[in-house]
Amino acid sequence: MALNPFFLQGSRGEQNLIQDLINEQLKIYGVEVTYIPRKFVRKQTILEEVQSSKFDDNFLIEAYLNNYDGYSGAGDIMTKFGVSIRDEVSLVISKERFEDFIAVFLEGEDDDEITVSSRPREGDLIYFPLGQRLFEVKFVEHESPFYQLGKNYVYELQCELFEYEDEVIDTSVEDIDKTIEDQGYIIDLTMFTTTSRATATSTVGQGYIRQIFLNNDGSGYTSTPIVTISGPTDPNGNSVSTGTTATAVAITTTRNNVTSISEILLTHAGIGYTGAEPTITITGGGGAGAAATCGIVTDKRGVVKLTVTDGGVGYSTVPTVSISVASLSPNLNATAKAVVSAAGTISALRIVDAGSGYLASAPTVTIGAASTVGVGTFWFNEVVTGSATSTTARVKNWDYDTSILKVGIVTGRFTPGEVITGGKSSAEYAIKTVGTASTTDNKYEQNDEIEDSSDLILDFTESNPFGTY
Amino acid sequence: MLGTYFYHEIIRKTIIGFGTLFNQISIKHKDADGKIINDQRVSLAYGPKQKFLARLDQQANLNKAVQITLPRMSFEMTSLEYDATRKSGITQTFKAVTGTTMKKVYMPVPYNIGFELSIMCKLNDDALQIIEQILPYFQPSFNLTINLVDSIGEKRDVPIILNNISFQDDYEGDFSSRRALIYTLKFTAKTYLFGPIADSPEGLIKKVQVDTYASTNRTTAKREMRYVVTPRAKVDYNNDNTGDLTSTVTATDTLLPVVDSSGFAIGNRIIIDNEIMYIEAIPSGTQLYVQRGYESTTAVEHLKDANINLLTTADDALIEPDDDFGFNESFTYFSDGKDYSPTRQIDI
Repeated sequence: MALNPFFLQGSRGEQNLIQDLINEQLKIYGVEVTYIPRKFVRKQTILEEVQSSKFDDNFLIEAYLNNYDGYSGAGDIMTKFGVSIRDEVSLVISKERFEDFIAVFLEGEDDDEITVSSRPREGDLIYFPLGQRLFEVKFVEHESPFYQLGKNYVYELQCELFEYEDEVIDTSVEDIDKTIEDQGYIIDLTMFTTTSRATATSTVGQGYIRQIFLNNDGSGYTSTPIVTISGPTDPNGNSVSTGTTATAVAITTTRNNVTSISEILLTHAGIGYTGAEPTITITGGGGAGAAATCGIVTDKRGVVKLTVTDGGVGYSTVPTVSISVASLSPNLNATAKAVVSAAGTISALRIVDAGSGYLASAPTVTIGAASTVGVGTFWFNEVVTGSATSTTARVKNWDYDTSILKVGIVTGRFTPGEVITGGKSSAEYAIKTVGTASTTDNKYEQNDEIEDSSDLILDFTESNPFGTY
Repeated sequence: MLGTYFYHEIIRKTIIGFGTLFNQISIKHKDADGKIINDQRVSLAYGPKQKFLARLDQQANLNKAVQITLPRMSFEMTSLEYDATRKSGITQTFKAVTGTTMKKVYMPVPYNIGFELSIMCKLNDDALQIIEQILPYFQPSFNLTINLVDSIGEKRDVPIILNNISFQDDYEGDFSSRRALIYTLKFTAKTYLFGPIADSPEGLIKKVQVDTYASTNRTTAKREMRYVVTPRAKVDYNNDNTGDLTSTVTATDTLLPVVDSSGFAIGNRIIIDNEIMYIEAIPSGTQLYVQRGYESTTAVEHLKDANINLLTTADDALIEPDDDFGFNESFTYFSDGKDYSPTRQIDI
């Protein structure tokens, strides 16, 4: 039997006819998938690996699903690394459609990011909408069927489910980007979403220490030393039983790996010091050499104690403390500093200068408002930056009600107190706590469970060279 | 014969101890300019799991969009083997104290537990980052101090020895199978298994009594003197809070102002903060005359309202092992011909 005499078996027109028929058939029987090209962010030489990639384009294309009875591949497998889903699909796309509608766009891209643009590439992703899954192209078969009328008309893409690590998937198609919302290494950041101002009251007294002067800051401290102040005495040198002994705390600072005392602040300025100036003893802390003296005020009233009545909420930085002015001339106004706890509240107020010339009625104390009133709503997948550490991350989820911001692809370590700013949304909130753990929803990892359990059984006098226990 | 129930969870603790070594390893990725664009901790888990739980946990909504997230590390116990080289005498025992009771513990049985740590990565570079963070610490062993038996506070150094490293990199072959990169590190943990721990019939020694004789011939010799030593509390245990200071006293004041001195007696030892004092006289119903800085304590200032506690035999009875304590001594002289019976605990 001879060949069909009405065909030339390979003319351009015949080839175009076949291609058109195939294109039409794919449009009728196909599935609309999204082709997402891989862009190289960093390719390592020698080991020949693309260390970082991003996927930020998307092209819709019709594909014929070769698997008529479900995914091929090994299916769900229990491995020592947890559940692994080995689903595979084989998709047929039109060569002409790819070249006309995808390749032309890829050609215009940066050559370092896209090295091959004329054909579908291994390593690219296919979003398969029926299963809402991301498949990675393992192999592109271009010769099946084999040169009919002298040409190949389709590509067969052999795909396997994507192995996700830290690739950026930002195609701007929400369905696609959200597929990895709870995948990978995710850190929980608890943010301050509400704030309230702390309040405090003051107590005035007479015969008190106005200020402590640090004469020698000492050196070699490994912990905070204890400051002891001798009790109140009268001009005859007898102790005053009705008085109150002043108390103070040392604040240490470290410069060039030497820890010394930077200042000594009063927690109670004392009452009833009418005789000689008390002695200040600095003990403990592993250091030596520190010495301090103080000035007392015997005949006027000053602020001897500050009591926090409400610690407030949402302090990420130390607020100012202002105490109303002393009325009796010559007056000296009292000053104080606030202590912010890890939970973002004002835990204590410390007197820097107790002032003098106050009336018997206690002056009012005003603590500055919490500076961390957040605004806005973080957007999914936007890049957020920490103000203090410049660490960046991508938003996985933001829940205002629970104040938890889940972030992935983190470039460093966030610290509590710093303000996180959204790159696109401009939302701003301060971090209250950084989740010690990644709370990946894959439920595989047990790093924190292991760490918590080991706290009870490992001897802490030994240090863990691999990190903290 | 066997069947005394006990479970110290030693193997579980060894598993946790081993896992802890590797739970803070991280990897970093950079962009083309060398700037770090990802710093992630490597997931670690104990490999074997109940299968249904693994599927319920890791594939709760059935529709996972990706195959797996990498890198991951998994470890598992692979063998248990008696270690004859560390064998100790089977009848050898040691004593341990829990609270106020003594425990008699047989020497533990040395066992080697084999562990396998597997590292699966997408990139060889990731695997190398992880491996390099682990290997330098094993020469070839790394010691972990584990509290193996909580009830007796038994802490043992468990050396973890790195025996062998192997890796699989399936990069050859057709393109239908993906490259799998798995490093496997084999370790041995030299741990100890403890048997049942029994209460010892022997108690803590809380009293020592010595009778001295004038001659070594016990049938004719008469005892001359008895010396008894008991522990003496140096801190207050029962918080009796017998009185309070009504005003601040300096480090040198010997007259303590109190609310009511009737609860105290001359010769009592009292403690305020950490200073022990000896009551020499009670001049009035609101004063105590004391000797300061008694029993080598340091005389310091005490604030108004400080609690005054009595140190009595009630406190002595509450001394626990490892506490700091002193001694009560007493001497008795005899002219009788009696002997002490340890069983009846009286002189006969």
